[in-house]
Amino acid sequence: MSASRRSPVIVEHLRKQQMWDALAKGKRLDGREFDDQRPLEIELDVIKKANGSARVKLGHSEVIAGIKVSTGEPFEGLENKGALIVSAEVLPIASPHAEPGPPDEEVIELARVVDRGVRESEMIDLEKLVLVPGKVVYTVFVDCSIVNTDGNLFDATSYAVVAALLSAKLPVLKMEGEKVVDTSETRDMPITTIPISITAARIGDHVLIDQGPEEEACMDARITITTNEEGFCAVQKGFTGSFTVEQLKKAAQSARVKGEEVRARLKELTAK
Amino acid sequence: MHDVKRRYVIPGDKIADGNFRPLMNVIKSGNALVATRIGIAETGRDGVKVIPLSGVYIPRVNDLVIGKIVDHSSLSWEVDINSCFSAHLPAQDVFGRDFSPARDDMSKHFAVGDMITARIMAFDRTRDPMLTVQDRDLGKVPRGELLKISATRVPRLIGKRGSMIQTIEQATQTRVLIGQNGIVVVTGRDPEGIKLSVRAIQMVEDEAHTANLTQRIKVLLNVPDTPQEITRAPIGNGDAKSGEIDSNMGEVEEELEVEGEK
Repeated sequence: MSASRRSPVIVEHLRKQQMWDALAKGKRLDGREFDDQRPLEIELDVIKKANGSARVKLGHSEVIAGIKVSTGEPFEGLENKGALIVSAEVLPIASPHAEPGPPDEEVIELARVVDRGVRESEMIDLEKLVLVPGKVVYTVFVDCSIVNTDGNLFDATSYAVVAALLSAKLPVLKMEGEKVVDTSETRDMPITTIPISITAARIGDHVLIDQGPEEEACMDARITITTNEEGFCAVQKGFTGSFTVEQLKKAAQSARVKGEEVRARLKELTAK
Repeated sequence: MHDVKRRYVIPGDKIADGNFRPLMNVIKSGNALVATRIGIAETGRDGVKVIPLSGVYIPRVNDLVIGKIVDHSSLSWEVDINSCFSAHLPAQDVFGRDFSPARDDMSKHFAVGDMITARIMAFDRTRDPMLTVQDRDLGKVPRGELLKISATRVPRLIGKRGSMIQTIEQATQTRVLIGQNGIVVVTGRDPEGIKLSVRAIQMVEDEAHTANLTQRIKVLLNVPDTPQEITRAPIGNGDAKSGEIDSNMGEVEEELEVEGEK
């Protein structure tokens, strides 16, 4: 599936008309306001064998993220930092349109946007994940499995990754000569901040957040804005349509306000 | 129909023993007649059948369905009929026998995303269903609110001799177009009427298996509970596909409700 291809969901013209009529009246087809998110459920530690994990349901979109920590060589140019690798896979059970096989461009984009949010916000202090500078570092693999697709996978996946990282326990490793030895102890992941992404879609002149599958099939442009406690950390725009300055401000405002709400929920959840 | 016995069954339930003919959703295993789906088993003079209460829509020849155009090749449109089978509408059916892929623009007639009412012309499970729009009131659905219900609930929505749907239509001043595949289109002038009609249809879907449903629908629609002869207007504008639906199935479900009330 090419990145430029529209959603595989074909929305009936009658339904599109209904959607446009509703949007013109300031409503969405499911009754939400433009800046309302669908119900969000976050569950931590769903995979016992992983170093950290979370399951997130946003509407009917469902994502499970798992963290596995191992050791390896640092990336070139980042010798004094641990490695973070985020990958995503849409399982064939997730949607009638999903096929088995390697991730397509859209899923690679999904993993990269989520990765960017975590990386650019410096959520994990990667400098604390070094065992031998330039030689051995912790490698944090974050694998996301999309179990069900119901629109806005960007936010659902992003919350799953952030929640899994917040719940993750890092194995304490030490070097004995050239060998890495597991001490069987664990410590918290060096978390510095909590990045939250909010995706806004433009349909006609209307900007709405957390688009459902039908809205996704009708949208002209999409923008994912990641914020942390201090402000904006990452932005990714999708589709060929554009945003006006006013529309961007609106999306940014929603990203800050809604981002704060989701962040508060995550803090509350991980504090337990 | 006075000697018909009915009960709820699940797949594997033995319905009867003996020399009965296995009909819809029933298989014969030795001397026993066994249900293959969840539903209402009905033992009549002509055999044993199970009216399903769940499951996808399985096309039958002559069914009237509402479908969505999802694609087209140079010779036919592909139509999503809310089933595990994808239907095809041949271009010749619309353009006539002198159809030429080079001359005739198919997307001008039906574009991807258009909704159509069509009749199933041919289907035998080895090939995808073939549709036709060559009949009165068939073709593109120009307007209306779209709803999807389970195809097994369609007889309940229609009711005995169309009573349920007529109650809804008359109380809400709307026209309800029902495809046997569970796609419903509601049209009307008053948005509030449409909203109420949609609520009533959704209630029928959610509570189709329960007793006393007609009564609750009447309460929802604020219809006085006096027995009245409902006369249906002549079928027109494609809105009375319900008239074509297997009225027998509607009756069965209606009678079930009466049984439940006892």
